[in-house]
Amino acid sequence: MSDMSPMDQLNEGIDLLLLDGGELATSDPEVTAMLAVAAELCTVPRADFKAELKSELLAKTTSSVITAGSASILRTAINERNTNERRSSETIPTLAGSGCGLYPVQRSSFMASLGAHALMVALLVTSGIWAAPSFHESPRVHSVLVTDLTFVLPPAPDSLRGGGGGGDSDALQASNGNPPRFAREQIAPPAIVVRSEQPKLPAEPTVVGPPALSFPQTKQIGDPLSHTSGPPSNGPGTDGGVGTGNRGGVGPGTGPGVGDGWGGGIGGGPYVVGRGVTAPQLIYDPEPEYSEEARKEKYQGVVLLQVIVGEDGRPRDIRIARSLGLGLDEKALEAVRRWRFEPGRLQGRAVAVVVNVQVNFRLY
Amino acid sequence: MKVLENAADEQVLIEAAQRDPSQFAELYESNFDRVYAFIARRVPSRQDAEDLTSEVFHEALRNLVRFEWRGVPFAAWLLGIAGNQLADRWRRAGKHQEVPANDWDETGSDAKIEENLILFQLVNELPPDQRLVVCRRFVDQKSLREIAQELRRSEGAIKQLQFRALQGLRTRMRNRHV
Repeated sequence: MSDMSPMDQLNEGIDLLLLDGGELATSDPEVTAMLAVAAELCTVPRADFKAELKSELLAKTTSSVITAGSASILRTAINERNTNERRSSETIPTLAGSGCGLYPVQRSSFMASLGAHALMVALLVTSGIWAAPSFHESPRVHSVLVTDLTFVLPPAPDSLRGGGGGGDSDALQASNGNPPRFAREQIAPPAIVVRSEQPKLPAEPTVVGPPALSFPQTKQIGDPLSHTSGPPSNGPGTDGGVGTGNRGGVGPGTGPGVGDGWGGGIGGGPYVVGRGVTAPQLIYDPEPEYSEEARKEKYQGVVLLQVIVGEDGRPRDIRIARSLGLGLDEKALEAVRRWRFEPGRLQGRAVAVVVNVQVNFRLY
Repeated sequence: MKVLENAADEQVLIEAAQRDPSQFAELYESNFDRVYAFIARRVPSRQDAEDLTSEVFHEALRNLVRFEWRGVPFAAWLLGIAGNQLADRWRRAGKHQEVPANDWDETGSDAKIEENLILFQLVNELPPDQRLVVCRRFVDQKSLREIAQELRRSEGAIKQLQFRALQGLRTRMRNRHV
């Protein structure tokens, strides 16, 4: 026996052990110890037996099969409970897990809850997006009646409405024509028949009035209201100029202006507010609409209209003093035409008054 | 071998199995090796050990609803059933051998059983070829020649694998005890 290697001694001892439970007599303590382990190995269960018995037991239970999943569910339940004990402050024991304790989670319910919450969050977010454009794209139109017409039509310096006239005591009526251009100061009065062919200081004939105003300029100077086309005459007026008036203007008035009245400027036109002339009062003023084109372009600004409010309170002779475009001018004109006024008055009598209307188109 | 971490875990499993017997699987997995080792050390053959182990677990499943948790491990209850089964078998065989009451403590463990459980675990940790040789040699009780033919290797190679496996198990068992 002592000639045998430890490996052979071990194998022979195992053969004896398995055959009849016998023990090998050996002097090698390591082999003896390994044989003791070998004896214990005889109690190792068959893996097949363990599995067969398990299946047999499960077949007896009321449920059909115990799966590894059910065991894992139990294990998960145990782990879940331990976690809850360690973290008692956690109030949500499970979300996507298997459940709380022995009570499993229904995943369909969890998914439905998750979906509902996601939808609510989406609605909250998108509601802000929806609200923003409706706020910013809301069109607002504000109209203002402006009675200060200085920047459009300055009044005659010394008269509620200007005018002027002239002539050089001619026996004939002044012949038809247009007044010369307007100027702030008059150096030489207009004349159809020039009496001095060689003046000492040549100067352009003008009438006093806003330089922005003008009549169609032709070569023939004359009275625009005269029905006489010839022969040329400065008219029966006095102090220079053309017409039946006096003091260097054109027409029947007095002064260096044109037309009825005195002091310069254009006579016979509408009044302006001030100096006894009251402003027209709005009675009915529907606001203009915002044009679709301007709204899409987010275009905004001010349209300025010059309007004559007649003695009957209706607007007339509306013209655009400041244009905006994109259809907003037309919308402003359309609305202002429907406006109605309490007319301006002079000494209790309704008179035509020129006013400005400022229409503000804004997107808020 | 699966070992439950604490008594509370085991109580949860027992209560679950009492409500739904299909949940008995976890208890079975946790206690099979211990029950088998207890029985195998007291019966002469593997067949007897398997028969008695089977009877113990069938009996346990039948009476599970009557089990009352009193803080004693479930394994102790199973070993109590196993002791009764062993006594019945010996009685029927004409032997008047009693299973000593102090053969295991009330927690269902004794030193020998614990050694067996460690050994079962160490076998599972062996390299695959060594584990296969050990199972064929000691569980199926085949000769070296039969194993060599099955694995298509020489008897010398199988003998060497057997030696290395036992040497490794011996070393690890000794280290565990140290």
